Amino acid sequence: MRRLSMYVTLVLLAAVSVVPFLWMLATSFKHGPDIYTKTPNLLPLDKKTGEWAATLDNYAYVLDVGGLGNAFVNSVWVCAILVPAKLLIDALAAYAFARIPFPGRDKLFVIMLGGMMVPAITLLVPRIHVTQSLGMFDSGWGLIVPNIASVLDIFLLRQFFLSLPGELEEAALIDGAGRMQIFWRIVLPLSKPVLAVVTITSFLFHWNDLVWPLLVTNDPELYTLPLALQQLVASPDGGRAYYIMAGATLAVLPVIAVLLVFQRRILQGIAFTGLKG
Amino acid sequence: MTTGPGRRARRRPGARHRDHLIGWLLVAPALAYFVIFLLYPALSALYYSFTDWNLRTEASWVGLANYADLLFDDVKYPHFWKSVSVTLQYTLIAVPLTLVAALAQALLLNAVRRGANLFRLLLFLPVVTAEAAVGAIWRWLYDPQYGLINTLLGLVGIPGQNWLNTPELVIPALAFIAAWQCGISMIIYLAGLKGIPGSIQEAAVIDGAGPWQRFWRVTFPMLRPTTFYLLVTGVIAALQVFGLVYVIFSGNGRSVTGGPEQSGLTYVLHLYLFAFRYDAMGAACAMSFILLVFIMIVTALQFRFVRQEAA
Repeated sequence: MRRLSMYVTLVLLAAVSVVPFLWMLATSFKHGPDIYTKTPNLLPLDKKTGEWAATLDNYAYVLDVGGLGNAFVNSVWVCAILVPAKLLIDALAAYAFARIPFPGRDKLFVIMLGGMMVPAITLLVPRIHVTQSLGMFDSGWGLIVPNIASVLDIFLLRQFFLSLPGELEEAALIDGAGRMQIFWRIVLPLSKPVLAVVTITSFLFHWNDLVWPLLVTNDPELYTLPLALQQLVASPDGGRAYYIMAGATLAVLPVIAVLLVFQRRILQGIAFTGLKG
Repeated sequence: MTTGPGRRARRRPGARHRDHLIGWLLVAPALAYFVIFLLYPALSALYYSFTDWNLRTEASWVGLANYADLLFDDVKYPHFWKSVSVTLQYTLIAVPLTLVAALAQALLLNAVRRGANLFRLLLFLPVVTAEAAVGAIWRWLYDPQYGLINTLLGLVGIPGQNWLNTPELVIPALAFIAAWQCGISMIIYLAGLKGIPGSIQEAAVIDGAGPWQRFWRVTFPMLRPTTFYLLVTGVIAALQVFGLVYVIFSGNGRSVTGGPEQSGLTYVLHLYLFAFRYDAMGAACAMSFILLVFIMIVTALQFRFVRQEAA
């Protein structure tokens, strides 16, 4: 009996988290008038006849007129460049902080960690100013370069690198391998789990990020998917839920796909990092 | 690294010197990023908070005027305290609601055997969703006429509400979305639960403790560090809520409102409007430092509270 009531509660809770997505999906396939019903339809049905009446028109509209097609491509580009570049810069720094003795290393690391304490919002205005001064405002560079490293990722990677056995490296050093060879051939291959976590959480964060693109771009050609979706919501089309839900589906589906494929790594990663930027 | 003297001697001469160079080279890109996009902005935000400045003109020094005007001049900045109150109310409702929902979900997931992974995945879904999409979806769910929430309430005989247009309902509606997205806290609670040794629970069972007693006397006290971590990070995040509110209250074009009677004007939304709508960058920077100080005070108080409890 207790077991049963637990499952009933779980199913209800799971429904609360999943039904909004199902409703989003259903709405995105509905013809305009069919969304205005008194009883909720979790399927794209014709309002009058109750028959199956799915359409792809909403997607065609938001992809083309709503500018979400272009924004989707922009988001893919930004993530494709930003995530690997960020991973490389963070991993190189983390490796040096963990393994290479150089003067001032530990002090520098502590100072950088201290920088994490400043809330993102405090930095927002002057960051835009810096981006402008560097001539990157309202450009693809502006979407990428100001996000190109993360102190938190460096911290996580460093912790992991510190936990690797030092003997392998020492043996390689004695055999005459250079630091970079050790980094590429020994450290990185051993660090796949943490590299995966950092990659996935970075992808999720930047794919979903609304605030930075909102502030750094004016040109609609540069909008990323979340920003284009927000603009659609804010446009006169914003009241048309069938368009908005098609747009939301486009933003959410890639993320759900990533979650399904990498669920174990993501959930494990969250357990010890929290989701971050 | 622990290298014996004999081993170190066998490395090529000059290796130590080269290590210094390589070390600095490897951290150089990250260091450049840190200086340009973290350190310099933090220091310049502090400087600009003492100036009258928009992005186009030179900043002119005004001393503490921004701070004084924000805090005390309700003619010049009529909504400052309103936005403080909105944010505090949101934090006080959203954070506990999120923690309770997360803990309940984690306890259930920890107790069932079959299907736990699937449920965990489904409950996690709202977290990975972009806040732009979350805002868009919930605007539609909260729609007064055709939204799913009111339709479902109607089925059980509760009259529908105009959630996002009724000042008193705006904050509860936003807090509910936050609790809907409690998946990260749930995962962290679940990790905490897994860390409680089974032997302690068994001992409690043998001593005749019922499920409630076990929860209040054993499980919850052992989760105190987890709860504290989630409380601190949750409060810090809630005080900065922005993107979701921005999308929910997006109006025509790029105009943004604070919701009906400014009932959804959160602190950071207000800060954003100052910086990027009203061209008052200096005041926006001052606002960001007021928030920074406030976050530091709240966090310190939380730490102090916990230490007292532990003593």
